[in-house]
Formats: sequence, C-alpha cells, structure tokens
Amino acid sequence: MRPRFVVGKVLGALSTLAFVVVVNFFLFRVVNDDPVESMFRGRNLSIEQKDRLRQQFNLDGTRFEQFAAYVRELLSGNLGVSLQSRRPVTTEIGEAIWPTIALVGTATTLSMIIGISIGIRAGWRRRSRFDVGSTTFSMFTYSVPDFWLAMLVLGLFSVQLGVFPTGGLQDAGTTATGISLLLDQLHHMALPCLVLAIAYLGEYAIVMRSSMLDTVREDYLQLARAKGLRDVDVRRRHAVPNAVLPVVSLSALNFGFVLSGAIAVESIFSWPGLGQATLQAIRGPDFPMLQGLFLLFSAAVIVANLAVDLLYGVLDPRVGGR
Amino acid sequence: MAGRDRVAVGAVVSGLVVAAFATMGLGSSVAASVDDEVVTLTVGVIQDLDTPNVTAGFLVSSYEVWNLQYATLTDKAAADFATEPSLAESWVEGDGGLSYTYTLREGLEWSDGEPLTADDVAFTINTSRDQAWANHSSITANLDATVIDDRTVKITSSVPDPKLPIMDVYIVPEHVWGPVAEGDVTTYEALDGVGSGAFTLREWKSGQSWTMDANPSYFKGEPAIDVIVFRVFTNADAMVAALQQGEIDFAHSVPSSSFEGLGDEAGIESVFGQQGGFSELAMNGMAGGIGDGHPALVDIDVRHAIHRAIDKQALFDRVILGLGSPGVTLSVSPDPVWQPEIPVEEQFTYDPAAANQLLDEAGYVDTDGNGIREMPDGSQELVFRYAERSESDIAAPVRELITGFLEAVGIGTTVDVYDDGQLTEVVGSGEYDLFVWGWTPFVDPDPMLSYFTCDQVTFDAEVIGYNDANWCSEEYDALYAAQNQELDRERRIEIVHEMLRLFYAESTYIVLFEDADLQAYRTDRFTGWTRQPAETGPVLFSNTSPTYFLLQPIDGGGGDDGGLGTGALIAIIVGVLVLVGGGAVVVMRSRSNRDERD
Repeated sequence: MRPRFVVGKVLGALSTLAFVVVVNFFLFRVVNDDPVESMFRGRNLSIEQKDRLRQQFNLDGTRFEQFAAYVRELLSGNLGVSLQSRRPVTTEIGEAIWPTIALVGTATTLSMIIGISIGIRAGWRRRSRFDVGSTTFSMFTYSVPDFWLAMLVLGLFSVQLGVFPTGGLQDAGTTATGISLLLDQLHHMALPCLVLAIAYLGEYAIVMRSSMLDTVREDYLQLARAKGLRDVDVRRRHAVPNAVLPVVSLSALNFGFVLSGAIAVESIFSWPGLGQATLQAIRGPDFPMLQGLFLLFSAAVIVANLAVDLLYGVLDPRVGGR
Repeated sequence: MAGRDRVAVGAVVSGLVVAAFATMGLGSSVAASVDDEVVTLTVGVIQDLDTPNVTAGFLVSSYEVWNLQYATLTDKAAADFATEPSLAESWVEGDGGLSYTYTLREGLEWSDGEPLTADDVAFTINTSRDQAWANHSSITANLDATVIDDRTVKITSSVPDPKLPIMDVYIVPEHVWGPVAEGDVTTYEALDGVGSGAFTLREWKSGQSWTMDANPSYFKGEPAIDVIVFRVFTNADAMVAALQQGEIDFAHSVPSSSFEGLGDEAGIESVFGQQGGFSELAMNGMAGGIGDGHPALVDIDVRHAIHRAIDKQALFDRVILGLGSPGVTLSVSPDPVWQPEIPVEEQFTYDPAAANQLLDEAGYVDTDGNGIREMPDGSQELVFRYAERSESDIAAPVRELITGFLEAVGIGTTVDVYDDGQLTEVVGSGEYDLFVWGWTPFVDPDPMLSYFTCDQVTFDAEVIGYNDANWCSEEYDALYAAQNQELDRERRIEIVHEMLRLFYAESTYIVLFEDADLQAYRTDRFTGWTRQPAETGPVLFSNTSPTYFLLQPIDGGGGDDGGLGTGALIAIIVGVLVLVGGGAVVVMRSRSNRDERD
C-alpha cells in the first residue's frame, strides 16, 4: 500500500469530520436558536436572568462568534458544558458510552455470528427447507421495526411472565458489586440485546446468502469437488472465504454505527446509553450535548469507513497500489 | 464448516442463550438478597434530574430532591398549604409587616453534623439575591437578612411583600456553598449530599436513578424509610408494568391510557393529583404592536364568540378522558382558595347559536357563501393561523376538536406545527393568531398573575416577555400592583378574584381544561400516603412533598423470601428447553454431517 493512498484516505476522513463539525453546529441552531426560552418557559425568571443564562451558555454572541468559540474549544479537546446538567459533555458522554457499547456491541456480534451462519447454510443449500425457512425469517427480522419487536418482547417477558426486569442497566439503587452486579446487569441486558440481535441478524443472513449464491456457481468450486474434496471442505475452505468479503465490509461499517444505533430500543428499555442521552438532549435542545454526540457518532462512522478503506488496501493490492 | 466447528458454534450460541435466560432467576435472587433489612422506597419517574444544583436546575424531578434535602424556614401544611414552622419554630412581625424576625429550632444540624445556624439562613438569602440564583431570587430579590444571634435572623423586605412571613427558600449550608466562587455556582455538581431535610442525596446515576438516604439529624426525627431510590424510565408503559410487578412502589406521571383501571388492581391505588396545571387556547391580542395577528381577534365580540363556540366538556371528555376538570378561568395556584367562583350565567358556556349571533351582529358574515365569514369591511376572511406544539401528546385531538368547533361557526383555520422553541419565537414576534399551550402555577398566585401585566408584553421580538396572551389592561395592572403589596390575605384574595374575573371576561386566553398529575402506588408495602392539598392534590411531587416522611412500612409487606419465585422456575424450565433443543440441533447437524461425509 502506497503512503500516498493512506495519506489521501486520512485527509479525506479529516475533511469529512470538519464538514460534520460545521453542519452539526449550524443545523441545531436553525431548528431552535434560543434554548433558554424553551427550557425555562414557565419558570419565574426575569428577562435579566434569562440574559444572564444566555451569557453562561455562550448564546449571547452572533452565530459566527459562537461558532468560532466552539471550534477554539473543540481544538483544545473541550466539548463544552451541558446546558441541562451543567456537567462537562465529555463526562456525560463518558458515562453513557459504555452501556451502549455493551448492549449494541454484544447484539451486533451475536447477530453477525448467527446471521452469517444462517446465510452460509441457506446459500449453500439453495431452495432447501432450511433456505426457505431461514430466508423468510431473515426477511421478517430485517423488515420488522425494532421498537415494535421491543414492545412485544417487553410485554411478553416482563409484563406477562415477569421473568425479566422492565428496564434499566441494573436494579436501581443496588449495592451489589463484582459477579452479583455483572449477573444483575446481564439480567437487564438480556431483553434489549435479544431484540437488537434479532433486528440486526436478518441483514447479515441475507447478504451472506446472496454472496454464497454468487460463489456457488464459480468454476473453482467444481474443480475443488473434482479433486475429491468433501462437500463441507469445499464450502469451508473455498466458498466461505471468498463469499464472506462483502459481509466483512458490512460488519466493519455496522460497527461504526454501534454508538448511534439503538435510540428506540434504549428508550423502550430505559437503557442509559447514548441513544437515551440523545433524546434527552434533543428535548432541550442542549446544543453542546447534541454537538458532542453527533460528532462522536459521525467520527465513529468515518473511522470505520477509513478502516475499511485501508483494510481493502491491504487485502487487495489493486486498490492500495493505484 | 466442519462438523466439529459447527458443534462449537452451536455450543457457543446455545451457551449465550442459556446464560442470558439463566439470569432470569439469578438476577432477581441477587437483587432481592441485597440489604434485606434496609427499608427502601422505590419511586418510578419518567424524568431524570437535570442537576441537583439548586441554583441551576429547573425540572420537577430536581425540585423533589431539593424538597427532601433542603428544609425551609417555614413549611406548608399537607392539607391546605397553611404556613407551618419548619427550621424556624416561631417568628415575630416588625416594621408594619416589612420585616420578620425568625427564631430557629434549638440544636439544628446539617446531615454532616455541622451546626445549622442563622448564618446559613442569612448566607442563603443574601447570596441568592446578590447572585440571582434561579430558584431563590424570585423570593429573595427584595429581601435582606441580618443575623441577630445563632438562632435568630431578621429578614427585611424593601417593599411590602404579602408572601411574608412565608419563607420557602431552600436554605443551603454555608460551609459547603460559601467556598464555591460566584462564577462556578451554577456548574457546581452539588453531589455533596449535605442538607437539613428528611433525606439527602447519596448518588445520582445520570439516566438511571438517584438515591437518597434518611437524614438521622432531621429535626422532626429520623424517617421510617431508610432509602429512597428514584428509578428513571424512558418508557412510561414499562414504568406502569414495573409497578404492577412490584419492582417499584410508586409511579409518577402515569400515561392516561394506562391510568384507567389501574386503581382497581389488587394492591394498587391510583391518584388523580391536581396542582392547578391547565391548557389554554390563546389569541393574539396584538398589545405589543408587532407582528401580523388577525385584526378580528382584537374585537372582543369575536373573542367571546370563539369562547362560546368551544365545547370544553367535549375536550375534557375526549382529550384528557375525564382525568382533570373542564377549565373556566386562569388557574393561578394549586390552592383552590385563589380561584373565583364564576356564576354559570356569567360563563361563556358552549353555545354555537349564541356565537353565530354574536358574529352576525358584529358584522362578520359570510357574503360569498363559502362557509367562512368575512371581516365587516370585507377586507379578509376569518381564517386564523392555528399554531400547534409538536411536543404535545394531546395536540392532535385538541386541534381536531377546536378547528371543528370554529368551522361550525364560520371560522376557518390553517394549522402550523412548531416545536416549543419555535413557537416561543413565533409568539414573541406576534406572527400568530391562535395557539394551544399550558402552564403550571406556583402556590403563591403572584408569578402567574404577573405574566399578564403590560410590562410582560413583547414589544421587541429580541426581548420576549411572558405575556403570551399579548393582551394589556391598565385595570388589571393596577389590581396586580395592589395584590402584590396587600398584606391582608383576605383582601388580597378578593383582589386576585377580581383580576381573574376581568381576565376571563376579556377572553384572550380560553382555559380549555385543568389537567392532573396521574400517579399510582402500591398499598401492600407502605401506609401514610398523603395528598397535598388534601383530597385533590398528588401524593408525591407535590409542592413540599410531605409524604416521604409520613410513610410507614407494613410489616412483611412486599418482602421477597429470596427463594425460587415463579420467574426463577420459568427460567429453569426455559433453560432446560433451550438446552434440550440446542442438544437436539447439534445431534441432528452431526448426523447430517455424517450423511454428507458418507
């Protein structure tokens, strides 16, 4: 891979990120320019107190003055202070990021493993009962809205059967530590994780099946069979490694969306992650939180894209060598 | 994939599923076994704290923390908001009502053991005034506090203040807040947990929960509850399910769709708590002289006709499902003593025929036969812009009904949807005709009354005032100034009643209905749930939240023996089924492998 290729990709990613910084800043202000009015309606504040709040929130200058201040702070690593909690945005995001990574990361991993396995088997035995059944199932999970599935699962397992908690990261106010706390958190994570895993796996299964169908017709597989290799070996050693490439890039890109991917499910299961933090910030609107969150979401996707680009450069010399 | 690999993958997946389902029983057992002797009240809420900092927060949930953590000099009775001793055991009037000298209880302590003295009171009042603290300065703006001795503090108002001797400002510890620099006060995290109230904040897990411990130094004695856990739900239906399952003891802000029938369930009592909150249809009175409000709305006959055209009973029945009360005039306090009785014959009751007659007589007739009336000079039709809040759950049914009512009397509407920030700007700029929004008043009527004075009208869109009726009356202002300094309570009530009758007669604000705070609690764990005010108010999240201190645990109520419950049994059954199923799949696939190999 040539250095010029790498530098080009990195510069491209950085310029996209800079674009995102600009858009994020102005986009939220187009929707609502004065959070003080909407956040403090009904509070017994004088006009002078509201002006004072605008000064505290750095909302008293022109938009471009505010933007310049934002960029200056951003370059020094400061994302600002949340208008609602008055805590640093980095602290707020730092607390919410791990529950999201745990939940969406686990669900994405599970759905990848299960979805790819289903896709391989379905594609290899086209039109078999397993293929028909699993394709129908995959199409269903791919198309079903995750919030609807979440409500169903919550209603069945929490309300009707009462075997899982109705939400949260752990029992509220628990003093448990160590393995007890871990079990408690697993108990709370099981349902949202199940919903997300089901919601995600259809895509993996469908893409993997499609890729397998393309690969199955390749001549080199006939050659492998002609050499006397067993069917499972043909599939494992020759078909899957070639068919799995599109799914690898899909997986890498999807991991970029892990941070932003579960607003509805987090909301239904009261999961204190980034999705919930986003909803809360939109209600303000809490500009610094929104800017910080969307910068993080965008950066994750951009970094994942960059990783895929560079990975392709490594895997396929024709790409990196040009 | 080789058979061996597939067995491995199958085992991993089965293991994960089994592990997840196995926690069904384990998690519950673990949770139930923790702190068995600690009496814990678990409160379900759908709103997290914004900040525990009393100088900066503004959400209802944060007020609940301050109500519990910071005692005030005087308290309000649970039954009727009557003034009661709190940190101050007595007070003496001076300077013709301009000053009061308060005597603190003996031996007051902060929860960290430091003595609570008159210095703390003076620090809170004077500093909050000087630094314009958000939740204090509306009370302390004109006050000055002087320490006489450790237990005596004199508070003087620079203007006659009818709210005195009530002093319901949260007294904060000087030894904690004093060292915080003025510029840092609003960003102080306030997780110190030092207070003088019945409970103090132990921890706050943003987006999850906050926990408060009983204060052993509380001047009324240690509460019967050891710990209160406020659990945050982002899904109100899940919160109701948690109440039904016994995961929580109390649910705040129950959705109206779940409220009906909830109180009939065994072990659950529902509460329909009114605190004076209401929704109104506001019209652009154009008092600010800016914007482009429809000229017809300046005509009081048109406003009266609109008032007559609206069926408030239908809105009450169909929008809030009867959970509240139909609106009459402005609600300025949760205390009903401030509400005037307006005789039915003086009310603008629903009467479309009368509305039509009013409009006909005022010259608003439909000359072109399109069903919409025109201005008397024929310059334009009576088509009003109706602004709707995108953030309101009831916006759609309210709009459907109101636009239908107006259409029935020959008034057309065009609907614009705004979020709250946009609507504030639209109203501030005067570029609207009608909108529906709401307010929740404080106990003292002064703030709500002040919003409709002439100096709160927006004359410059850059400086938006509170008066979103865009209406101004010298008579109202004079009455406002009179009540604002009237020290005779009975006389003040009369003045307020007069103001509200005047406001009602002007009809720039049509109060559609008074809504309620829907709550529910379990009756099998605690007794002592107390409404504030009695009979009509909520039990928690009321003005001063007296219930927490009054709750007593029921012996054995709601306890968990830690044994295998239904959940654990089902968990085991499902786990076994999954294991058996997983095993069968593995066996079948191994057999299939053998077939392939053969």
